[in-house]
Amino acid sequence: MSTVFNPADVQGNILRGYHKPRMRHLMLEVTDRAAARRWLAASTSGGDGVPQITTEEPWETKPETCFNIGLTFEGLRALGTPDASLATFPPEFVEGMNARALKLGDAGPSAPENWPAPFNDPKRVHLIASIYADEIAQLDRLQHQALPDGKGLRPLGAREGWCFDGDYVHFGYRDNISQPRFKEIHDSESYSDSQPMAPLGTVLLGYPTNFEGLTWRVPQPEALGHNGTFNAFRVLEQDVVGFEAYLDKAATELLEHPDVDDLLPPGAEANIHLEPGDSLSRHAALREVIAANMCGRWRNGVPLALSPDATDPSPDVSKTNFDYDGSSRCPYGSHIRRCNPRGGQIVQRVANNSRRLVRRGMPYGPAYDPAKSRGLKKDEPERGLLGNFIGANLGAQFEAMSCDWLNLGLQDPRVTGSNDPLLGANEPETSWFDLPLKSGAAIRLRGLPRFVRTRGGAYTFLPSLSAIRFLGSLTN
Amino acid sequence: MPSNAGWLDRFVDGLPETRFFQFVAAHILVPYWAWRTPVKLLPGGPPPSVQPGDNVQRMMNLVMPLKDKSPVGRAKAALAIAQNKDEIYAGLDNVGTVHFARFVIVDNNICMFSVYDGDFTNYIRDFIVTIGSVFDAVVSLVDGGDDVIPSEDNVEKFIEWVHAHDMYQVPDLATGILRDQEALNGDTAAPGNDDLRLLPRQLILQLNVNNNVSLGSGYRAYPGYSAAQVRQQFGSGW
Repeated sequence: MSTVFNPADVQGNILRGYHKPRMRHLMLEVTDRAAARRWLAASTSGGDGVPQITTEEPWETKPETCFNIGLTFEGLRALGTPDASLATFPPEFVEGMNARALKLGDAGPSAPENWPAPFNDPKRVHLIASIYADEIAQLDRLQHQALPDGKGLRPLGAREGWCFDGDYVHFGYRDNISQPRFKEIHDSESYSDSQPMAPLGTVLLGYPTNFEGLTWRVPQPEALGHNGTFNAFRVLEQDVVGFEAYLDKAATELLEHPDVDDLLPPGAEANIHLEPGDSLSRHAALREVIAANMCGRWRNGVPLALSPDATDPSPDVSKTNFDYDGSSRCPYGSHIRRCNPRGGQIVQRVANNSRRLVRRGMPYGPAYDPAKSRGLKKDEPERGLLGNFIGANLGAQFEAMSCDWLNLGLQDPRVTGSNDPLLGANEPETSWFDLPLKSGAAIRLRGLPRFVRTRGGAYTFLPSLSAIRFLGSLTN
Repeated sequence: MPSNAGWLDRFVDGLPETRFFQFVAAHILVPYWAWRTPVKLLPGGPPPSVQPGDNVQRMMNLVMPLKDKSPVGRAKAALAIAQNKDEIYAGLDNVGTVHFARFVIVDNNICMFSVYDGDFTNYIRDFIVTIGSVFDAVVSLVDGGDDVIPSEDNVEKFIEWVHAHDMYQVPDLATGILRDQEALNGDTAAPGNDDLRLLPRQLILQLNVNNNVSLGSGYRAYPGYSAAQVRQQFGSGW
């Protein structure tokens, strides 16, 4: 096994973000094994007109378009991967995302039975091809180039994402702020971050992991598994109307709460802005306080851990370089602290850095415009996030984070029994979320509905270039 | 009414209790049924659930058959636990989600019975990371254990192995076992004969495959709290 990192062998959408404003995921079914293999082989070189897979190799000028693929277990099987190889893939990948629904909180309205095509028929979703570009015309051109005649690969559906407002996403938060960093990888956008560098095995198979002396099983043969990784692709519908309505309702209730002045002292609303220089009412400021506590960041990305009282602190604070100590005013149950507790105290003492994920997400659907909305969800078009959650071990990272932390809240006895306020499988009858006060007490919010509904997804294997060649050269 | 039953009724009703019939059932009838209707092994551990209360205080009943099925083998197992007890207990403490754990020898099995919070695979993975190398000494005495140690190099295999040796937990509702069989077989047809008074064939065949099972989710004196919540309430630090 080579532990020397070869960027030309690794797909380019794993270790870096392309920062392209448009993307399209094409869900494909293998209909002709031999033709699909030829297509894969061609994709490694860009031959036969098939778009060339973008790799991790450094570029001098950013390409106009980028192209990457992921394969489901059913896809590997459809391509004729030998049974002995298939048996070396991990069980969660073999079973697939639909079968793991309860672990992921995909129940009720998020249950796979309610997912629209093609994700309601997971046996047919074999390959997800992802195109990244600056304009829709480029997406169309590459899609046509990739699938000129539908031979070998049949399109089952497509999902298209776009950045409608830079790094801002549908609930109005700035996203795409912090990712695991790797010492082997030159990062052109280096930023300060107190979190330890992640070992490459966090996100690639065949390298040391966060656990000393422990390695994940690399699917065999080596050419197939090494330098590959796994991805949880999720279509997450966001209920912006419901979210904004909840903020309104909770802020109205807080205005009457006896401890509200401890949460937001009179006059402190002057430190809270949606736009630079604006002047928010007390109700509007409380809405932002609630939104910030639910996420762990103000909507502009400033972390509560460093700036609990002001959206635009002076002097400015880092968005990435912070930790959670005993005095942190970032709620234990906030979204970013739940999903990545950094160096803060947690119940599972070995898990502080071991469940980290690379997250590559992009919004889909039109931006929410409160001026045009009648405030009724049924009138609104579907919108949300197309998320790729990438890690070398789905069970140890994505699932571990989802089932014990995002929901259930096992990492801290003060949040156990509650779900993530933004992404969790919440039911208004039982949900709760604590807003910490300076005094050490808390105001408990209740009645949070489910703001994010899963509308599809698949576990995919992101093969290395060697693996794509291996699959392309199968002859059985 | 029994008192009104004639001699023939009493004779027929009493047949299942006769040694001859019991012999025929155990040695001929059940093996024949099992051959005609193969039944899959139901997996170990509690069923998945999204209810928070179902995801804390979960039971693991790990039954591991010893390689050496003699008093010497049992003594070796007892010593392996005794010699590593402090490290194993310290490790369980560091896993953070374990309420109770105890080691028991039953017949020629070394058993680990524990109550833990959260997802099963997370529990076992954190256990391997914390004390896998120590626990390997115990696993090396068990049938098939050599294939999964050192556990740090065989994490996925080790977790699957533990899962396979964890007892199937029969649902609280007795007919749940029939639903589990149907789910495992992908059988979506309407449920069949659920009358448990008749000692259904499916139940017998399942227990023919899963010899050791846990019956129901067990008694709790109090509703679901995590180990850390209990520790926090008692001020003993988590």
